[in-house]
Amino acid sequence: MKDEKIRLKKTKGYLELVTAVAIKNVSLRYKNSVFGFLWSLLTPLIYLLIFSFIFSHAFPDIENYPLFVLTGIIFWSFFSGSTIQIMNSVVESAGVLKSLNVPVIIFPLSALIAALINLGFSLCVFVLIMFFFGFQVSPATLVIFPAILLFSVFTFGLSLILCSFNVYFRDVGILWNTLTPALFYFTPVAYSYQLIPEQYQWIARLNPLFHYIGLVREILYYNRLPSLKLIIITTTMSLVLLGAGLFLFNKLRRGFFPNL
Amino acid sequence: MQQQNSAPDREVMIEATNVDVSFIIQHQGIRNMKDFIFSLGFKKPFEKKDVLRDINLTIYKGECFGLMGKNGSGKSTLLRAIAGIIPHHRGTIKLHGRIAPLLALGVGLEPEMTGIENIKLCSTLMGRSKKEINASMDQIISFSELSMNDMEMQVKRYSSGMLSRLAFSIAVGDIPEILIVDEALAVGDIGFQAKCATRINEIRQSGSTIVYVSHNFNEIKRICNRAACLSKGSVAMVGGVEEVANFYKSLF
Repeated sequence: MKDEKIRLKKTKGYLELVTAVAIKNVSLRYKNSVFGFLWSLLTPLIYLLIFSFIFSHAFPDIENYPLFVLTGIIFWSFFSGSTIQIMNSVVESAGVLKSLNVPVIIFPLSALIAALINLGFSLCVFVLIMFFFGFQVSPATLVIFPAILLFSVFTFGLSLILCSFNVYFRDVGILWNTLTPALFYFTPVAYSYQLIPEQYQWIARLNPLFHYIGLVREILYYNRLPSLKLIIITTTMSLVLLGAGLFLFNKLRRGFFPNL
Repeated sequence: MQQQNSAPDREVMIEATNVDVSFIIQHQGIRNMKDFIFSLGFKKPFEKKDVLRDINLTIYKGECFGLMGKNGSGKSTLLRAIAGIIPHHRGTIKLHGRIAPLLALGVGLEPEMTGIENIKLCSTLMGRSKKEINASMDQIISFSELSMNDMEMQVKRYSSGMLSRLAFSIAVGDIPEILIVDEALAVGDIGFQAKCATRINEIRQSGSTIVYVSHNFNEIKRICNRAACLSKGSVAMVGGVEEVANFYKSLF
């Protein structure tokens, strides 16, 4: 009974800790800028403009190309931004980790939550733009929330792996930073996967992001429920990555201190 | 001479038995991934470095315990192991009370945030609950002697003295059961230093336990009842302050 109480108090303490650090992350990012969080919309907006201008004609097969590319870009920005922030969260908190008894997992976790809050804000604005391009709300749209959950679980697992290795070798961070733009073009964000010659499509399918971008696009662009197959694939990948990430992080955590 | 032996009726606060701490670090010469990949199969990429060996210490309630030792003898590592910041690989460390580590001043302070926001954030990082933070807020602010105006200001505009005042006030804001201090007292101007010393005394008198690392004999003699000297990662001597200080001097 007493143990239960202590555990409850501890969990509550962790929760307060995670929210405090997450809110700090969000508010710090744009604290000194005049336009605040609007800056975070600029990059996807520029991408949207560029792609709409260039590729609308290159991909005439894709109906309503701006909406198509927007649904991809919003979630791509979430993925690339949050992986980098989660990956760096532990290294950046070296000072705190070296002198206070704080559970390490707090930092990646609050980086994820901060990224999710940011995604929520930007979705509010992007939904308006999407309406402008003919986005329609249907009951299927609600499925976007569990889809975001699946995607962020996957992102978190992957980032935990990157984060753990990054403490030991900072090369991992540099490597990931160079790799993400390449991954952007490997993933059908700005183009439709049907453009890939059929005999090579299996290679594109090896990319987990292929399925997650496909998942959100089914919901927001095609306005329909994702197929059972897609749901099973993404759920499995999310759980596997989360398990692997947590396992590795726990294993490597003990050696973090002298490498921070 | 202080009494050094453990009276059996005294309540134990910190109990370390056979504690070993070692770090797994990259082998000399392996600093990046390239070195790591090329070293595979040739030499072990990681090596174990023992920092603390077979530490046995018992610290009692209400005691102010001094730790001495040369640079690199493992004092800070021992404090961190006690505070639970570094995992120990063997032995047990038992704590009978909540611990507040004061190892480095100013960690966790965010330059872009105001004094008040920093008090909240740092206190949360130190494991205080929202309720406790609200309760100790006034005390922290008045202890720091910073004005309400300063408190609304971003911390990056503070002078270094003000910064240390804020940091120290946050650290000793509520009276912890166990306080570990790592040579962090030399902050602020003379007035504030005196205040810090008084505060440490207050904390001690309120029945809290203090573990104190310093190279300054006079300071150790002034505030500690008992002391230990570390040498090369082991406890070389435990006893009265005077004896341990003499032993420490004899090491040079």
